[in-house]
Amino acid sequence: MSLKNLLSAAAVSVALLSAPVALALEPAAMVQILSVIDDRQRNGGDYKAHIYLEQKEKDKTDNVREGFVYRRDADDKLMILFSKPKTEAGKGYLRLDKNLWSYDPNVGKWERRTERERIAGTDSRRADFDESRLAEEFDPTYEGEAKLGKYTAHKLNLKVKPNIDVAYPVVKLWVDKDTNNILKREEYALSGRLMRTALYPRWKKVFSESKGADVWYPEEIRFYDEVEKANSTIVLIKSVDLRSLEANLFTKAWLESKSR
Amino acid sequence: MFQLFLIAFRNLGTHRRRTLLLGGAIAGVTALLVILMGLSQGMEETMLRSATTLGTGHVNVAGFYKITSGQAAPVVTAYPKILELVRKEVPELDYAVQRGRGWAKLVSEKTSSQVGVGGIDVKDEPGFRQVLQVRSGSMDDLAQPNTVLIFEKQAKRLEVKVGDIVTIAAPTMRGTNNTVDVRVAAIAADVGMMSDFNVYVPSQTLRALYQLRDDSTGAIFLYLKDLKQMAQVQARVRQLLTDAGYTLMDNDPRAFWFKFDVVNREEWTGQKLDITNWEDEMSFITWTLKALNGLTGILTFVLLVIIGVGIMNTLWIAIRERTREIGTLRAIGMQRTRVMVMFLFEAMTLGALGTLAGAIIGFVVCVAVDAAHVGVPEAAAMFIMSDRLHLVVNAGSVLGAMVFITGCTTLISLIPSFLAARLKPVTAMHHIG
Repeated sequence: MSLKNLLSAAAVSVALLSAPVALALEPAAMVQILSVIDDRQRNGGDYKAHIYLEQKEKDKTDNVREGFVYRRDADDKLMILFSKPKTEAGKGYLRLDKNLWSYDPNVGKWERRTERERIAGTDSRRADFDESRLAEEFDPTYEGEAKLGKYTAHKLNLKVKPNIDVAYPVVKLWVDKDTNNILKREEYALSGRLMRTALYPRWKKVFSESKGADVWYPEEIRFYDEVEKANSTIVLIKSVDLRSLEANLFTKAWLESKSR
Repeated sequence: MFQLFLIAFRNLGTHRRRTLLLGGAIAGVTALLVILMGLSQGMEETMLRSATTLGTGHVNVAGFYKITSGQAAPVVTAYPKILELVRKEVPELDYAVQRGRGWAKLVSEKTSSQVGVGGIDVKDEPGFRQVLQVRSGSMDDLAQPNTVLIFEKQAKRLEVKVGDIVTIAAPTMRGTNNTVDVRVAAIAADVGMMSDFNVYVPSQTLRALYQLRDDSTGAIFLYLKDLKQMAQVQARVRQLLTDAGYTLMDNDPRAFWFKFDVVNREEWTGQKLDITNWEDEMSFITWTLKALNGLTGILTFVLLVIIGVGIMNTLWIAIRERTREIGTLRAIGMQRTRVMVMFLFEAMTLGALGTLAGAIIGFVVCVAVDAAHVGVPEAAAMFIMSDRLHLVVNAGSVLGAMVFITGCTTLISLIPSFLAARLKPVTAMHHIG
């Protein structure tokens, strides 16, 4: 073997041996990815989304709801108000000072709920509609690259930071390498059991005047209950409006007025 | 007086058909009352036995712990200290156990259901074995970690048998989801409503699910030597814990899960104890008992009115028939009061004999039904916490029913008796009846 060939072989060997190392992301790079994901979805100003929820449960007829999500990220405020069907119209959730309240116009009563409970009994949760806080809440580790259909994704394992309460302490995230869109999310219980899988097949962007940049949102999220395999929920975000909302919108009185 | 009683007794014998008819009606009412009382007392006894074993003590030291104002968990922290205090200061105590409380999703391969999860130390719970009949598996296996005791109907619904693995999923006190896989160690016979939504796991398994410390539990169940001391013990435990520096919730006579709304609405955080008794914890079922007692009361009242009208009418006819006799008795010197007493005695004798016959019939029916172990429909079994009809005849209650009905018949006969006594001897003797 000539010296040239020997050098070439050595170079290839070094390249092959060092390939996994090269692929792995540094912690700072992973946090950067999470920060980008969070930032791309954040508006900074107000946010209003028209949502559609379709819930499938075993031995039950499918349940469909429509409603609106209102957010004021600067004040950490959130409201979910259902508008359809008639039986659900006026029901809603309001997050105030880290408390989640639910309102049922049929009984005219507010109930304090846990922040991490299901929204309207579906597989979705408050956090799915709220501001993304992945970088703030989780510590990532890199699990390599993974193929999801035609997409190549970074597979991150997120573990909740100490003293932060979340519904699922371990999350596996598939992030599109090219766009930084989340493609898939698996959520695990404390025991390590897979509880819920979420797929994000479509992402859309809308220009925000207040932010001066695009705000990205998942147009469709498919939640699969991994404990009760037959249960699933589809969330469609039909439209997003980033104009300023009424000043007094995030109040119990405002939500109550909508059901009268 | 005895002569008057004798006259009354003979009069009843003379008018045999009338006596049999009225006496039969009184006996019927008494028998019905005795049976309904037997049913009500039987239900109460069954419910008390099942409920105080499966879901509540005679007196409970329970409570809520709130990490944030919006998240309440049915948890009592540092329970050994409380238990020690109660054991020292409550001599009426027979024994005490701790029981974890939870609400979780029980998931099998086929389906799932929401259940109340009780965390027990089966070795410390002798009452458990007395109330529950294990259909398959062994209750002793419940001492092993990660096992579960379910009931027949649940096993059917979940399509599982002993040895199968099911998952219990629930959020912890901080709202983080957790699961635990448990093996079905025993399947017990249904005990009405309690078995519809309750399963039992070892205490340690429940603590692992909810990430609780070893000295945390759901409630301390206190069992008393004499149930009659319940109210005073409850008041004393309340005072005792207040004096010891614990914060107590206001008395709210409802089952603990009805209180989440109220507790979650309140701003406080930390620990608040709640002292309840078995009637509070079973208030969602005891309404059936109250309804049955109410129904018994209404039924008895209606029947008594019918009988009262019958007695009044019959005595009226008797007086009319015997007006000349009354006139003669009055003419030979019988006082008005004695005439009245004579008719009263007649009604009283009829009442006493009728109720006696009715009580005997009712007693026999109760004993026979109880001995026959008659099954009850599923809907009824749910409320009485037993799939068998259990009737209990209490001698005091039967005697009370007899006295009550006899008293009513006697009181009702006062009006015609008084009218008979008021007749003038001359008018009475000239009466053409």
